[in-house]
Amino acid sequence: MNDIPTEPEHEKETSMACCTVVEMAGQQSVGMGQILVARCPGKLTAVLGSCVGVALVHPRLHVGCLAHVVLPESAGRESTPGKFADTAIPVMIRQLEELGANRSGLVAKITGGACMFGTSGPLQIGEANIEAVTRLLGQAGIRMAGKHVGGTKGRRVTLDPATGYVRVEIVGAQVITI
Amino acid sequence: MNEVAPASDHRLNLLHQLFASATHDASAAMCRWTEGLITLTLDEVREIPLEDAAVALNLGDEPITMVVLSLQGEIGGEMILTFDEQNGRQLAASLLRRPVGAGADWSELEKSALTETGNILGCAYMNALTRLIDSELVPSAPYFIQDFAASVVQQALLAQAMTCDRVLICRTGFHREGKELNWRVIFVPTDGMRRAMEDAFHCVV
Repeated sequence: MNDIPTEPEHEKETSMACCTVVEMAGQQSVGMGQILVARCPGKLTAVLGSCVGVALVHPRLHVGCLAHVVLPESAGRESTPGKFADTAIPVMIRQLEELGANRSGLVAKITGGACMFGTSGPLQIGEANIEAVTRLLGQAGIRMAGKHVGGTKGRRVTLDPATGYVRVEIVGAQVITI
Repeated sequence: MNEVAPASDHRLNLLHQLFASATHDASAAMCRWTEGLITLTLDEVREIPLEDAAVALNLGDEPITMVVLSLQGEIGGEMILTFDEQNGRQLAASLLRRPVGAGADWSELEKSALTETGNILGCAYMNALTRLIDSELVPSAPYFIQDFAASVVQQALLAQAMTCDRVLICRTGFHREGKELNWRVIFVPTDGMRRAMEDAFHCVV
C-alpha cells in the first residue's frame, strides 16, 4: 500500500515548455503583460483599465487562455509577449495548440480598453488596443464570440474555461457575462 | 521611442531624496488643511516589473475611492490618492464638521471635501516638484473616482510602459496623530519627469 498522499488530479499547476497551465480550483490573477492558460476547474482573472483582456477559449476542451494586453504594437521591441497585442495573440494560439486545442475550434472574447481619465488626454490607448486586438484576431481567423469594451470605468474580468464565459464586473453596475 | 534603462540604486536614491522633499511640502499643506490632524511620509520610491505593479502596490481587486490629478505633457505624470471607505468618509466629515455620512453613497459635499483635499495635496506636491526641476507643472482639476484601483493605476503606468518593462512608482503614506491610515498617494511620473528630476539633482550637487 502506498501511504504517500497524492495531489488530486484537479488541484495542480502544470508547467509546459512555454507556459504555466492553471488547473487548480480557484482563480489565478493575470498581471499586466502576462498570458496564462487555464483548464477546468481553474479560472483566470484580471483587473482592466485601458488594457484589453483577450480571452481565447476552446469550448469543447474546456481550456482557455487570458492575456492582459497593455499596448497595441511591439514595433520590434523585445519584451514579454503578453504586453503587446501583436505578440500576445500568436503566443496564445500556440500555447493552446500545444494543449491540443486547434485554432479552428477557438473563439475569442475581449474586454477592457477603457479611457479611465476621460477623453481629453493624449493617451487614448484603450481604443488603439481594442482596434489592434480585433484586427489581429480577424487576421488569425479566430471568431469573436463576445466583447465588452470601451467606456470610462475599470473592469474585473474572470474567464471560466469550464463554460467559456467571461464574467465582467464594473463598479456600480450589474455583472455581465459574455 | 527610446528604451529606458532600469534605474540603478544610486538613481533611485536621488529620486527618493527629491520625492522626500516634495512629500515634506505636501505634508505641511495637509497638516494645515486638516488643522494638524494628518501628516504624510514617503514610504517608497521603487522600480518594479510592470506585471507585478498591482500586487507590489497592494491594490487588491476591490473597488476603492480615489482622487486623481493628471500632469499632462512630456514632463508629466499621474497622482492618485487612494482612501479606504471608512477613513475617507471620516476625513470628509471632519473637514465638513459634520457626522460621518450614513448613506451608502457619497454625498456631493463629501466628494467635494475629498476632491479639495486632493487639490491641496496635489498642488503642494507639484509646487515642490516645480521648484526642484525648474519647470512649470500644471495639474489638471482633481476628479473623484470609485473604481478598481488597479484599473486606474494601470492607465497611469501606460506612459512608462511604452518605453520600459519596469515602472517607477512613488508611494506615500498618511498618519493621523501618529497612527498609520490606510490611505496612499501613488505618483507615477512619465519618463520625461524622471529625467528632469535626475537632471535637476545633478545640477544641485
